[in-house]
Amino acid sequence: MDAFRYLETSEHSAAFNMGLDEAILESVATGVEPPTLRLYAWKPYAVSIGYFQGIEDEVDLGRCATLGIDVVRRLTGGGAVFHAQELTYSLVAPDSHPLVAGTILDSYRSICSGVINGLEVMGIHAEFVPLNDVCANGRKLSGNAQTRKRGCVLQHGTIILGLDVDTMFTILKVPNEKLKGKLMQDVRSRVSSVSDMLGRSVGYMEAVLAFERGFSEALGGLGSRSDPSQTEMSRAMELATERFASASWTYKR
Amino acid sequence: MTGSYIGKPSGGKLLRLSLEWEQGIVRGISIRGDFFAHPEDGFDEAEAALAGAPVGHLEQTFARELASRGVTLFGLSPEDVGVAVASILASSNGAS
Repeated sequence: MDAFRYLETSEHSAAFNMGLDEAILESVATGVEPPTLRLYAWKPYAVSIGYFQGIEDEVDLGRCATLGIDVVRRLTGGGAVFHAQELTYSLVAPDSHPLVAGTILDSYRSICSGVINGLEVMGIHAEFVPLNDVCANGRKLSGNAQTRKRGCVLQHGTIILGLDVDTMFTILKVPNEKLKGKLMQDVRSRVSSVSDMLGRSVGYMEAVLAFERGFSEALGGLGSRSDPSQTEMSRAMELATERFASASWTYKR
Repeated sequence: MTGSYIGKPSGGKLLRLSLEWEQGIVRGISIRGDFFAHPEDGFDEAEAALAGAPVGHLEQTFARELASRGVTLFGLSPEDVGVAVASILASSNGAS
């Protein structure tokens, strides 16, 4: 397999994070950069919604503004995610890369093996649960989503390091307010975090060390930790402003 | 006329659908939820192509529009859209 470039970009705004994922997709699609793994985080905390979700269906925008929480629509489908204490990854590879060849389900499974390996490094035995989750003891620790554009696969996903269900439910809307209590209980029983599973607080930098090892095993090696190119950084800022922070994109649905 | 639907037609993911129609013809439709569609813009186009279609045959029309663009769905099906539309029509009075 082609060697994967490895970027660790730490914390950025939601619009920039989504812009950089797309900028990397563009640079891999044009052959300027090799297949790429990126690890990152969110500052301020953010809500991302799936490509097909209605922003006002899912998010209490006023509450997010009050709390200083970013809101962004992703390029990928799937559900709304509260990005707080977590490690996020994105992986971009050409469609023809052996890692992502085969069906969409196969490629989710292949890429998620990096997540599973990383959790194993931390001492958590987890498994892939189709279509797009990684769970340990039946509880979700990682959600993942992918899109295919310009002859490439972009998959990004979260590894939940700490779970704040109370804040999550103050900013995400529920279909039926009367069922809110039950839904919160459901989330607490179905979703967990690395910190909860290990019984100690696990931060971003500790997780980076584990997941760069985990992904390195899954990807057949990783380049040394590096930064995006200047071109990618400029393009990410452009995409952040023109697309991901724009009202036309945010309110697309 | 307008109507909306929120539910899990096949027990899976939550589907939200808003429909506007007049004399049996779709004027506008919005299909929203935490589903996946590849490619996404093919889904957008198939959804947009439903405007002007007979409201009574949306499931078949949507399936055809998706297929012609090679769109693969996860967590949603044309049947789900058919159930949602039928539910909206059933709860409206005098749908024509």
